[in-house]
Amino acid sequence: MDSYLRPGGDAVALEDSIMQKGQPVTAGSKMLENFISPLDATVVERLRGQGVAIVGRARMTEFGVARISGDRPEGISGAVDAVADGSARWALCNDVFGINRRLAAQNGVCYIHPTYGTVSRYGLVHLASSMDQIGVVCRNAEDGFALLGRIAGKDANDGAMFPEARYDYASTGKDITVGLPEAVIGRAGTAQKAALREFAGRFRGAAVQIPLFPLVKQVMYILASAEISSNLTRYDGIKFGYQAPRYRSLKELYTNTRTEAFGLDAKLAAIMGTMFLSQGYYTRYYDKAMRLRRLVKESLTFAGYDVLALPCAIGDDPYENLSLYALAPLAGLPSLVFPQQRQGIQLIAAARNENALLTAWKSATKSATKG
Amino acid sequence: MHQMGDFEEMAMLDLPSDERAWVSEQAERLLAGFDALEGADTSEIQPLVTVLDVRNVLREDISAQLIPREELLSNAPEQYDGYFQVPKTLV
Repeated sequence: MDSYLRPGGDAVALEDSIMQKGQPVTAGSKMLENFISPLDATVVERLRGQGVAIVGRARMTEFGVARISGDRPEGISGAVDAVADGSARWALCNDVFGINRRLAAQNGVCYIHPTYGTVSRYGLVHLASSMDQIGVVCRNAEDGFALLGRIAGKDANDGAMFPEARYDYASTGKDITVGLPEAVIGRAGTAQKAALREFAGRFRGAAVQIPLFPLVKQVMYILASAEISSNLTRYDGIKFGYQAPRYRSLKELYTNTRTEAFGLDAKLAAIMGTMFLSQGYYTRYYDKAMRLRRLVKESLTFAGYDVLALPCAIGDDPYENLSLYALAPLAGLPSLVFPQQRQGIQLIAAARNENALLTAWKSATKSATKG
Repeated sequence: MHQMGDFEEMAMLDLPSDERAWVSEQAERLLAGFDALEGADTSEIQPLVTVLDVRNVLREDISAQLIPREELLSNAPEQYDGYFQVPKTLV
């Protein structure tokens, strides 16, 4: 009786991609509508081991796949909703494409995206494995980092992790220098710019260039959809999940199952990813994007600045906004989204320097309270 | 040169016509934007597969059963005598 306790309180909501033994886990897809988890995710085990209650499961956009077309409704995030309406104190979810980070900013709550390799992905429904990372939705970043400290640390069941057994997140109290990429900020709307300027005005600022920013969304879409197409191959209607009721052969069973159960955005990612990984396109797109990923990562040096500050939107086109949210997962860096003047600000720090994010947030919050 | 329909088949999908039209439209938009990648010189750059340093980590070869067979099979739409059941593949 350790789950589905009481609403609110000190409880955590889990996005429907995080496994909880004996509970349905759908990842927002018809493909997994009848799937019952055979195991507990490592984050669930750690929460239970420390007496943190799990209040329930939160709906999500199918598998967390990006919606890049403006003609489709924006993604949904029950994790953000649960924290925003007080049903849960925290929520855990995976956010590769920024759906949860953008909605957190719009709903006045915070989102902590930890450094890749610091939180176990064991028991998380795979999306894009080189970028999947469980993060924390919270109303207060300090409170969110306290929960993150309970779930972070090496896990033998995840082969891509840093060796540290645990992390203690704390504000260092040091003066923070904020990196300001003017070329990016200049593309934001007036209110977004004003919120960023107000935030940055409390710190020493440093001009930062992100020369490859105009290519980030393309690099992200190519790499992520290639990984998604590969990860979605497991859904064949045989081992688990939905199975089409009508088929005449094994191939028809696969095809009908996948066609009937995947949503449009997952289908687009599966088809595009298959293309990027196929002979004739691999070098032109996938290999090129992997090389550009290295350049993007290496361009974020954090030399002369502690955190990079970005707006949470540069217009209404979800594909354009993907650039803002792709930087952290592409480079494996931690980021923090928090509300500011009814807008959102995203901070990114060097790998395993979550403390810089917390320090900046605390400092900004303190001076706002004083002001 | 492959067509979008080939990739749809390779991805084991058979889209209804309205979905195929939407996917084609999105694919055209995406591919047009990818032309910009060609201007970036990456000839001297190594591909980045993962952001972490990748090392081969070995463990002792000790068998372990994390999840019992019955539990693994319990999510299978069809099973027979302790195995996944598939349609006849040899005719």
